[in-house]
Amino acid sequence: MAYFPEEVVEQILGYVTSHRDRNTTSLVCRAWYHIERRSRRSVLVSNCYAVRPERVLVRFPSMRSLSVKGKPHFADFDLVPAGWGATADAWVDSCARACPGLEELRLKRMVVTDECLKLIAGSFTNFKSLVLVNCEGFSTAGLATITTNCRFLKELDLQESVVKHRGHHWLNCFPKPSTELESLNFACLSGEVNASALEGLVARSPNLKRLRLNRRVPFDVWYRILGRTPKLEDLGFWAVTGFYLRGIFSVCKNLTCLNLSCAPLIQSADLINIIRRCTKLHVLWLLDHIGDEGLKVVGFSCPDLQELRVFRNNADAATLTEEGLVAISSGCRKLQSVLYFCNRMTNAALITIAKNCPQLTSFRLCIVELSSADAMTGQPLDEGFGAIVQSCKGLRRLSMSGLLTDCVFLYIGMYAEKLEMLSVAFVGGSDDGMVYVLNGCKNLKKLEIRDSPFGDTALLAGVDRYEAMRSLWMSSCNITLGGCKTLAASMPGVNVEVISGAGASIDEADEASSNAKKVEKLYLYRTIAGPRGDAPGFVSIL
Amino acid sequence: MASPAMVTLISSDDARFEVTEAAATMSQTIRHMIEDGCTDGGIPLPNVPARTLAKVLEYCNKHAAATAAESSAAGGAAAGSDSGSSSSADSAGKDDGVDLASFDKAFVEVDTDTLYDLLLAANYLDVKTLLDLCCQKVADMIRGKTPEQIRQTFGIKNDFSPEEEEKIRKENQWAFE
Repeated sequence: MAYFPEEVVEQILGYVTSHRDRNTTSLVCRAWYHIERRSRRSVLVSNCYAVRPERVLVRFPSMRSLSVKGKPHFADFDLVPAGWGATADAWVDSCARACPGLEELRLKRMVVTDECLKLIAGSFTNFKSLVLVNCEGFSTAGLATITTNCRFLKELDLQESVVKHRGHHWLNCFPKPSTELESLNFACLSGEVNASALEGLVARSPNLKRLRLNRRVPFDVWYRILGRTPKLEDLGFWAVTGFYLRGIFSVCKNLTCLNLSCAPLIQSADLINIIRRCTKLHVLWLLDHIGDEGLKVVGFSCPDLQELRVFRNNADAATLTEEGLVAISSGCRKLQSVLYFCNRMTNAALITIAKNCPQLTSFRLCIVELSSADAMTGQPLDEGFGAIVQSCKGLRRLSMSGLLTDCVFLYIGMYAEKLEMLSVAFVGGSDDGMVYVLNGCKNLKKLEIRDSPFGDTALLAGVDRYEAMRSLWMSSCNITLGGCKTLAASMPGVNVEVISGAGASIDEADEASSNAKKVEKLYLYRTIAGPRGDAPGFVSIL
Repeated sequence: MASPAMVTLISSDDARFEVTEAAATMSQTIRHMIEDGCTDGGIPLPNVPARTLAKVLEYCNKHAAATAAESSAAGGAAAGSDSGSSSSADSAGKDDGVDLASFDKAFVEVDTDTLYDLLLAANYLDVKTLLDLCCQKVADMIRGKTPEQIRQTFGIKNDFSPEEEEKIRKENQWAFE
């Protein structure tokens, strides 16, 4: 067969959208490589230190959408010291210089300054979407430069970012007389919000489909807004009282996505009354005060549910047990993703869940009390998690807690063939546990471990694996500086970062004794960019 | 009703095809030739063999007829005075939509060589919807495959040096996955 003409290949690639398939097509032959790189519009960089921004822009000159991920996931649990890195500056600078057509920027766990936001606002004339997930370092003044200058903004999402309050002006600055806004999430903002500015914004944003407001929006304002956003599909709110319940009921039947994870003040009876009417839900986020009884209602009201997250409400003693999750699993057979904080769990419950929901791809269970055994039998939960990895063949993400021994890692290594991310905290018996996982899970991309008894033997057992993985995090384990050095010496393509407490640095005076020293935090990742240049004093790249 | 204007198309292997002008002009290439008055004695298409041209015309005939039916239905509905006739025209139009979608789907259920020939012909003849359809089909065949499987499927030669290939593979995996 002859070759496809270039313009035809470009057309074909126009229909190939996933990052993985795009990567594959770039490896077919030289012509395809160049056509692919010149036409790729959406670029994902899964670790900001794995490649330099300049390289990304040279390879993909037509980029319109860029996603960059920064700090390791355990930063969400305050395990990464402030000042560690992952600043967005270099990325935004490079894009501002080489990619004026950028329309979409999505940053996760990065430090974004107001200066950065100003540069974004002034550099990309057709900018449409800014998504900052778990980011920090900016203020509402920086947001005002975005809302003032980005006339075509469709999406502004500040999911779980930490934003300093410097005035509520930003909400006023969206374009007039009308905006293109489809999605707005500022639930994380702590400061005051100007109610009339918000109502005005909603009134001139006819395409708004997704809206998450912060706690400072008074409920009557929220309620009036609800009446003006007929296209709403995705909703998050804080509080509701009896008087307004009836109004909410009217939008329930259309909702596919409901976030009540920031609504600790809603009575659980009201909560249940709302959810009972949301029969089309695909995604539901809740606090644990819904109780097992509430989850039973979810179980028979929401047959299409695909994602459930139940977070802990710190305000009162948690009330959830294994019963709630079992009820969900028997009612919501399409469930794919679960995050569940609870007080107790049993092997029998996990086995039932595994049987009811074999299509789970993400299963994250957090039993609040550390090292909890099976609440009925007092046994470790090895068999329960074993059942999950054995029947959920497509499982890609797993977080475990409770009393677990090496045995559960044996099951994971044996059955979890598709597993890409494993989070482990306060579990395990010996080095063998980690070795089972490293030897078994051929698709593992990220392994994060804290407070578990794995040492140098386990760490070094993965030497052949780490280049095939995106990253490894180990904190409060039994690894030593000597072990980390040995690893670094044998893996030039991998950055081995040893992180001490902020302010401390590694003392090289006495090599033998320093080698034996325990490493508090290790972060290891493959990179084609070499060691990073912005590491602070408390980070040593071995 | 006047019989529709016909044109003659001549394949690279000298087969002659009589088609309606409406079907033929789904091809922008042919449309331009007709506009330029190059139709005497038939329109030669030296890049398209009879086997492929027949297939392309099958597609064009089907789509041109559907378009004609749709526009006459729309015209009838606009002109019609009673609501009964307009609603029946509407449902006929809808049926055609479903019908066309399944026709399209079946149309590209062919072996790789035929699909490849169709793609080249659609590109040369500039039949946009057919080109889109074929490209979409090829993209579907690419999804989830390895580079080597793609090369084998479409008979593409790997012209990377091993070092080049490894470098790209590594950059893809380490930075862009």
